[in-house]
Amino acid sequence: MKRKISSIALNVILILLGVVTVYPFIWMVCSSFKQNSEIMALEQHLLPQTFIIDNYINMNNRFNFLRFFANSLFVTLAITLLVVYTSTICGFVLSKYKFKGRNLLFGFVLATMMIPWCVTIIPKYTMIQEFGWMDSYKALIIPAMFSGFGIFNMKQHIATLPDEILEAARIDGADEFYIFHRIVLPMAKNGISSIAIFQFLWAWEDYLWPYLVINTQEKQLLAVGLKMFNGQYSTDYGALFAATAISIIPVLIIYLVFQKQFIAGIAASAVKG
Amino acid sequence: MFKKSHPLQSKSEIILRNIVVIAMVIFFTVFLIIPIGIAFAGSFHEWNPLSGTYNFLGLKNYIDVFSSGLFWTSMLNTLIFSVVVIIFRVGLGLGIAYAIYSSLVKYKSFFRAVYYMPVVTPMVAVAFVWKFMYNPQIGTINQIFGLDINWLMNPKTALLAVMIMTIWKDFGYAVVMYMAGLYSLPTDALEAAKVDGANAWQTFRYITLPLLKPMTLFVVITSIISYIQAYVQILIMTEGGPGTTTYLASYIIYDEAFVKYNFGYASALSFVLFVITAVFTWLSFRVSGSQE
Amino acid sequence: MMKKITAMMLMTSLAVSSLAGCGSGSASGENSAAVEVPTEPFGDTIKYDPSVEINDGKDITVELWEWGSDDLFQQAIDGYTAIHPNVTIKLVNNPWEDYWTKLPLALSGENGPAIFNVHNSYHENLINYMAPLEIPLEDLQADFTGVDAHVIDGEVYYIDYGMMTGTVYYNKDMWTAAGLTEADIPKTWDEMREVAKKLTIKDGDKLIQAGLNFNDDFHQNYLLGLNYQLGENLFQEDGKTPNVNSDAMKQVMQMLVDMYEVDGIGSKDFGEKGADSFGQGQSAMVIQWGHYYNTLQTTWSNINFGVFEIPTFDGNPYAYNRYNGESTFGVNKNAPADQQAVAQDFIKYFLANDEIQIAFNLAMSTFPAKKSLAGNEQILANPSLAVLAEHIDHYIWPGSMPSTMETSLKKAGQDIFFNGVDIDTALNEAQENIIRDMQNSTFTSVENLYKYAK
Repeated sequence: MKRKISSIALNVILILLGVVTVYPFIWMVCSSFKQNSEIMALEQHLLPQTFIIDNYINMNNRFNFLRFFANSLFVTLAITLLVVYTSTICGFVLSKYKFKGRNLLFGFVLATMMIPWCVTIIPKYTMIQEFGWMDSYKALIIPAMFSGFGIFNMKQHIATLPDEILEAARIDGADEFYIFHRIVLPMAKNGISSIAIFQFLWAWEDYLWPYLVINTQEKQLLAVGLKMFNGQYSTDYGALFAATAISIIPVLIIYLVFQKQFIAGIAASAVKG
Repeated sequence: MFKKSHPLQSKSEIILRNIVVIAMVIFFTVFLIIPIGIAFAGSFHEWNPLSGTYNFLGLKNYIDVFSSGLFWTSMLNTLIFSVVVIIFRVGLGLGIAYAIYSSLVKYKSFFRAVYYMPVVTPMVAVAFVWKFMYNPQIGTINQIFGLDINWLMNPKTALLAVMIMTIWKDFGYAVVMYMAGLYSLPTDALEAAKVDGANAWQTFRYITLPLLKPMTLFVVITSIISYIQAYVQILIMTEGGPGTTTYLASYIIYDEAFVKYNFGYASALSFVLFVITAVFTWLSFRVSGSQE
Repeated sequence: MMKKITAMMLMTSLAVSSLAGCGSGSASGENSAAVEVPTEPFGDTIKYDPSVEINDGKDITVELWEWGSDDLFQQAIDGYTAIHPNVTIKLVNNPWEDYWTKLPLALSGENGPAIFNVHNSYHENLINYMAPLEIPLEDLQADFTGVDAHVIDGEVYYIDYGMMTGTVYYNKDMWTAAGLTEADIPKTWDEMREVAKKLTIKDGDKLIQAGLNFNDDFHQNYLLGLNYQLGENLFQEDGKTPNVNSDAMKQVMQMLVDMYEVDGIGSKDFGEKGADSFGQGQSAMVIQWGHYYNTLQTTWSNINFGVFEIPTFDGNPYAYNRYNGESTFGVNKNAPADQQAVAQDFIKYFLANDEIQIAFNLAMSTFPAKKSLAGNEQILANPSLAVLAEHIDHYIWPGSMPSTMETSLKKAGQDIFFNGVDIDTALNEAQENIIRDMQNSTFTSVENLYKYAK
């Protein structure tokens, strides 16, 4: 009985918190079907009084959603795949090989995680200009290829894989490339999926850097594109909310599909750090 | 020392190791060490890329930073902001994760997904939505609670309002991290506690919490790093106002670098911020270490 | 698991890219409205001759960057490319804030746009990248007002096509409800405050309707401009030192404070933004710049509003207000010579073409700088422009002030209204901030070029 009461109480609290969490989204989605004058009207109603879908239809005039979405997906996937690969292979080398300077290198990797964006962004920007990479995806992808966070987590994760399996493969005559690609990589899948999701979300939401280096409208990314609705004298709220609503759907789906692996992955690496 | 791993280093191991180490070193040198060097040098100069000025100033930028009232206001704000948001993020995250984890709650993945929604929503959009919710006349918050507060323009509530929004956006991250931590707890320790007759609170306080410490440290450190760099919510919600009451350190850097193009001054500020981040990160390691 | 991820990612990206393909394909086929192609030279002093080929008739593509309404710019481009089918002008739109971060950086690189829209508030960030206009100075002066303020060492890099300034917008329904008539339209600030009191509705202490609302825009619409009515410039005589803690500025600030705190015709907490509050039907009057006319037309179309000229202190001001120019395009001096030639030619076309001048001025609700258009019917049909016509020469452009003028005064005002700082301290602090922010600035005020300068 007591258990039942506490179960109900707990569920009620969680649902209330859930409502608080979700309410702004509901408000946003409802507002995306309103005219700007209704969004800002004195008389506020959650549900649109005049239901319009123009915000979604007209959005494409200024905000080529599918284009931005495809760009974001391409860049984010490229960065995610590269980071997953580089993090895993660096993690493998740093955890399973012993060599001079290993700890120094690992300490350095750890230190990189602490450097705020603002320290390096200005020189990085001037460097990208020197390289002639402005307005190209090279500028987005190459500087993001290695991640201190990813390497750190994969090192922790791969360290937990038993050495015996690797030794057995070596005795069978497998070379290290084979061992990494065919044994370590598949075994590290939980760690990989947690890194992948973290990296995916970061790259998906990254704003300042793509905003600085990408100029052409057709190449722009989604997170930056959302600012298109912020004009010189006013903001087109209805269109902004419509665009935001449809931009978060893909990310939510990815999260929903992979949340089990995501959590298992974090559990496998970060906790043991 | 090589022997611990395995006695013979094969040729392929040396090749793989060299490729990886060299790639890492090149990458971090080009995209981290060199930029840091440039920024460090730049912080001693009057540096404006638009007018092409790059004149040596010595320590002037640093002196300006420390003698600027706005810098100290913003540091205090950043400190308050980070500490409060981190406490709530960790507290809420742990509490909710533990609740979902417990056998009392059924639809676990539903709740996990709901709380994670704000995390995956771009800050730009979230900040606009909340700016509406805080509106003194038409905002949801005043209407629901029957208040009459000009949240974002009252010096007493402006920073608080931004913090509440940030907590709302970010606590789901901590929930998921703690869920992961809880799922990986060794069940034998918890069983043993039960056998010894510990009640739920005792189990949580003396078994679960200490076991979750690495996760807490992880959440706290990633939070310190990201909150010291927070600026988007300020840019959209208050622009630092009213007056200068909600200036955060990174917002000044953004403003100086990409609005006023004072790259030199902005670099000096960045380095000061970097040192402070490092100190706080080190402190959190120390604090967590000293308890053991 | 990895297979699952890869497969899903591939599927989504495939689906999306094919969709994106369709989307862009269908969008491009629409703009095919017939454009009348002029064959005879047109214009006042600046003449554009459509029969002269550009780039020897060879195909060329240039980029034009802007932040505003694509349709407006496309209209000008379509007119031009109809004359010169060999030219393709690619429009690149960036939202306002992004534009000013990215344009200067793009211009400092190699592939910056040949033509770009200019706003004089960002003058300093752009001027180093601009090529002077090839149109003779005398011709520009003959056709346009305010050219002198743009002369740098005998060269002109851009001019204004229109002048934007503030006027009072009032809600006609509230006006009638308060028993006011056309005759009550205030000429002085004292009258304005009396009218505003009549327009204010309170329920006990609680404000229901504000007579006047200047929240969030007092710095732009009052502080930076009303000083001229009192005969005080924004910059001291050297043209470089700000003058924001002058007695005139203090008087204006004091008046704003008194309006809210003594007269009670509005409140700092009533309506986050004056402009929105007026649109919401919550405030009876606002002073707004020309662009607000368009906001009222589009967002707040159900407000029945009228416009009158900004009040003065004594009916005989040194100048009525500050104005700001909407600028013509700039030419990128680092662009290839052939692209620059197109850019120069396009600007000439833009200046000579009255239709485009009218369209741009109406779109921004700016008063035309082109002299021949001052009495134009289409222009005067816009009430926010019509009320300006009589005294348009009594407005001052201080030059392209660094943005710190606005931001520092906004901060000062917020400190006074919300943080309890006294006026003297706040304005002195603003003065110091501006001096610090401007220490490396090359800005010099052009207030001395005012036609009726003392």
